[in-house]
Amino acid sequence: MRYGFYIGTCLFLILIQTTILPYFNAFSGIYDLLIPFVIFICICLPIRESLPFVLILGLIMDNLSGSPFGFYLSFYFWLFVGVRWVLKFLRVSNKFLLSLVVVIAVLIENIIVIGTFALSGPDWQLPADAFKNIALPFFWALITGPIFLLGLLALSRRFNIQLNGASPQPNAYG
Amino acid sequence: MFSKKMVLIVGGIVLITVNVILLSVTSKSQSNFGFGRVSLSFVAPFQELVTRSVRFARGIWGHYFILVSVSQENDDLKKSLNHAIEKNNQWYELELANKRLRNLLSFQRSLANRVVAAEVIGKDPSTWFKTVTIDKGKADGLQKGLPVVLPQGIAGQVIEASDHYSKVMLIIDRNSAVDALVQRSRARGIIKGASADQCRFEFVLRKHDVQVGDTVIASGLDGVYPKGLRIGRVSDLSERSSDIFYEITVEPFVDYEKLEEVLVVLRPKIQTFASQQ
Repeated sequence: MRYGFYIGTCLFLILIQTTILPYFNAFSGIYDLLIPFVIFICICLPIRESLPFVLILGLIMDNLSGSPFGFYLSFYFWLFVGVRWVLKFLRVSNKFLLSLVVVIAVLIENIIVIGTFALSGPDWQLPADAFKNIALPFFWALITGPIFLLGLLALSRRFNIQLNGASPQPNAYG
Repeated sequence: MFSKKMVLIVGGIVLITVNVILLSVTSKSQSNFGFGRVSLSFVAPFQELVTRSVRFARGIWGHYFILVSVSQENDDLKKSLNHAIEKNNQWYELELANKRLRNLLSFQRSLANRVVAAEVIGKDPSTWFKTVTIDKGKADGLQKGLPVVLPQGIAGQVIEASDHYSKVMLIIDRNSAVDALVQRSRARGIIKGASADQCRFEFVLRKHDVQVGDTVIASGLDGVYPKGLRIGRVSDLSERSSDIFYEITVEPFVDYEKLEEVLVVLRPKIQTFASQQ
């Protein structure tokens, strides 16, 4: 049941990102919605459950996108490693710093994309819309990322309460 | 012998190195080691369902709720329809003449090129890359490398095909390249995607005559796009004194933001001598 919730949320986000948002010009520069989701499952699931989930998610995204194969796989993996490391020093209840992680992750993802362009050959050029592609997702993440992540955490807590009665199911980070 | 911290650091460095090498290889080859079909088959049916629902909802909104000025529009449309019927008749005559001339010249190549109409059901999750998912696949005769076109011009090419869905790389993607000609002066070059709904027209020698507004067409020499298909219009042109090539920006005829239906041009059937007897 719990996995059903995670798989359903993940599929919902992929569909939103690839089929609904492209119809609305206002959302044309939105960031990768799966970044808050990867951070969310890093927080909510233990390593042995969250790591395969993150890797499969990376594979699916790699195949839906025209990016070099392995880009999303690598990025989600390193995001996973980074978030697990950060969580050693950060409490999940520290909402401000946790939100900052979303914004930084969005920024790093876009910088890695440019890195893959540079790896593709010596005659690479920075795309004409590079600044727009970095700035827009950054501001979107700054405004909606924290709300989105906290919403996912609240939804998960509510779901766990419904599933397990009065008390939420304990996880690695409480 | 080694401390745990040292093993972790060395392990991390090795992982990062392997990762960078792998990304470097895949960014040059566009290979996905066969995983593409599985993911497409898994996610694309859901994409199709959501896209159809959104279009259905939009259709209801457009047809039933926005009734303001429909009457006026109806009168205008009737006038336009009469005009269109007249034009259609003229075009029908031209089409018949065209068919007769084609038969006369035994111009069979264009008849051999079948097309498959497909619907766009999903777009690339990243703003950096320009690909779309369509609802036709190997079962409909699609395969990797087939050109995807619209009446306005070239859209892109199939880069991945599963049984019922395919992924199409648009010509505005930075990995795309099309061998092209300036229609008026026949100056040749390569159309490359610039990601921002525009293309660069590279390797066009400055000795050739190119002007802003010129139409650019496919040369057919890349073996993917049939010769003569329209690509776009030269929107900007500059010359650097040290360079032997122009710097040209081409604005494609196709509006990629509003891409909904496309045509995939299938490979022409190979005619054997025996079959022509």
